[in-house]
Amino acid sequence: MSTASSTASRPAPDPGGGTPAPNPRGETIVEFREVWKSYSGRDVLAGVNLKIRRGEVLCVLGPSGTGKSVTLRHINGLTQPDNGDVLVFGESVVGLSEEELSPVRRRTAMLFQGGALFDSMNVEENVGFPVAQHTDKTPEEVAAIVAEKLTMVGLPGIQRKLPSELSGGMRKRVALARSIALDPEIILYDEPTTGLDPLSSEKIAQLIVDINVRLQTTSVVVTHDIVAARTVADRLAFLQQGRFQFIGTFDEAARGGHPVLMEYFRSMGFPCGTGVFSAVSDAPKGT
Amino acid sequence: MTQPQPSATAIFYRNLRWLRFVDRFGRKGQQAVEYVGGLAQLVGQTVTGVFTRPFYSSELLRQMDELGVKSVSITGITALFTGMVLALQSAYSLEAFGGKAFIGRVVSLSLVRELGPVLTALMVGGRVGSGITAEIGSMTVTEQVDALRAMAISPIRRLVVPRVLATVIMMPVLTAIADLLGILGGLLIAVVELNMTPQDYITSIWQQLSISDIFSGLGKTVFFGLEIAAIGCYNGLQAQGGAASVGQATTRTVVLASICVLISDFFLTKLFLAI
Repeated sequence: MSTASSTASRPAPDPGGGTPAPNPRGETIVEFREVWKSYSGRDVLAGVNLKIRRGEVLCVLGPSGTGKSVTLRHINGLTQPDNGDVLVFGESVVGLSEEELSPVRRRTAMLFQGGALFDSMNVEENVGFPVAQHTDKTPEEVAAIVAEKLTMVGLPGIQRKLPSELSGGMRKRVALARSIALDPEIILYDEPTTGLDPLSSEKIAQLIVDINVRLQTTSVVVTHDIVAARTVADRLAFLQQGRFQFIGTFDEAARGGHPVLMEYFRSMGFPCGTGVFSAVSDAPKGT
Repeated sequence: MTQPQPSATAIFYRNLRWLRFVDRFGRKGQQAVEYVGGLAQLVGQTVTGVFTRPFYSSELLRQMDELGVKSVSITGITALFTGMVLALQSAYSLEAFGGKAFIGRVVSLSLVRELGPVLTALMVGGRVGSGITAEIGSMTVTEQVDALRAMAISPIRRLVVPRVLATVIMMPVLTAIADLLGILGGLLIAVVELNMTPQDYITSIWQQLSISDIFSGLGKTVFFGLEIAAIGCYNGLQAQGGAASVGQATTRTVVLASICVLISDFFLTKLFLAI
C-alpha cells in the first residue's frame, strides 16, 4: 500500500509507479508513465503513474469527472495522452495510428458503460461480430462460440433477441459475452454496474471475477460501486485531482489507507470503522 | 476649450462591440475551415477504404437497398409530378407561339439535364443524408463507434465506405428512374390535357435529346451522391453528447447537403458543358 499527497501539482510524487504489488501474480502488462491529459484547459490526468500486473483485477475508484474512464481509454488507444507514455504488452501505444493499434486492440476488450451493443444486429450477430471480423471461422464455428460465451454469462438461448428487447443487466452481460468472444488478455470495464439494481450489479461483479479466473485475463474495472469493487478487486487505485492518491488492497483501504479515500468511502455510504463498512470489507473477494 | 483625450480604456470599451464581432467572425471562420478540412480528410480515407481490404460487401448491398431502393418512391413521385407540371407550364408558355409540339423537348431536356439530377439529389439529401447522420450520430453518442474501434474495426471502413459507395452507385440509378418517370408524367399531361398523340411527344424527345445530355445529367449525380453521403457520415461521427446533438447534426446535414448540391451543380454544369 502507498499513499500520496492530495495535491495535483506536477512535482509531487505519484504512488502508482513504485507501489509494491500486494498480490503480484505476474509481469507488468500495462504501465502509465507520467500521463497528462487535459480537456478545455483542465488537467484531468496530471502525471499519472500506474502499473497493472498480468492476471490481477484492478479497480479504479474516484468521484465522477476525475478521469477514471479517460484513464481506461488510454489503455486501448481510444484516447491519446497530451504527454507521457502508456505501455501495453511492453509496447507504447502513444501516437499510433488506428491501423497500428489493431494488434493491441485485438488482445484487449472493453465493456462500455451502456453496453454499446449494435442496435441493428441481434444478440448472436453482436457477440459473433468480432470473431467473424478477425478470424476465418465458419458461421457454424462462430455460432458455437457465441453459444458458449452466452452460456458463460448466464444467458443461453437468447441469440435471436434484439438489444432493444433486453433489460439493462442483460445488455451488459451480452456486451460482456461480446468482449470475451476473442478470449482477450486484458478486459477493460467502464462502469459495469452503473444503472443496475443491486442484484444485477452483484451478478455482473461475480461474472467479472469468474471470467478473470476462467480466462486468465487481466481486468481493469472503473467504478464507483464500492460493493462491486469489494467483490472483484485485487487492488484499488483511487483517482482524484488528476493523480492516483492511493493504490493498494481493499483491506488496506478499509484500515484507513488514505484520508481522502476514507472521505470518499464515507460519502458513498460506507462510514469507515462502522459495522457496515467492516461487514463489506471483511467479506472475502468473489463472494 | 480643448476636449479631454479619451483614455485607452474608454477607446477599448467603445470598440468592444466591434472586437467581439471580429472575434466571433474569426471563430466561425476557423470552425468552417476545420469542418472542410475534416470532411476532406474523411473523403480521402473513404476513397482509400474503397480500394483496400477489408471489404464489407454484404453491408454495401444492405446500404444500397436501404439508401437506394427505398428512395425510389420519393424520388419517383417527385419526378413524375415535376414532369407533369413542366408539361403544363410549357404548354401555357409555348401555345402562344404555336410551339406545343416542342413540349416533349422542353420537358425531357429540363428533366434530364437539370431537374432530374438536382431534385433527386435534394430528395436523397433529405432522406438519405439525414438518415445516415441520425444512425451514425446515435451510434457515436452511445459509444457503438468507440466499440468498433476498441474491436480493431475501422468505423470508416465499416460505416462510412459502404454508405458513401452505396449512395454514389445508387444516385445515377435513382436519377435515371426519375428522368424516365418525369418524361412519362409529361407524356400523361400531353396526351390527356393537351390532346397530343404519344407519338408526337416521343418524336419531339428523340429529335432533341442526345446521349451527352443524359450522361452529363447522370454524371453530376455521382458527385452529388458523394457530397450527400460524406456530409451525412461526417456530421454523424462528429455528434457529441446526446439526442439533442444528433438532432442538430441531422438538421445540419440536410441544410449543408442541399446547399452543396445546388452550388456544385453550377460548377459541374459548367464543367460538363465544357467537356
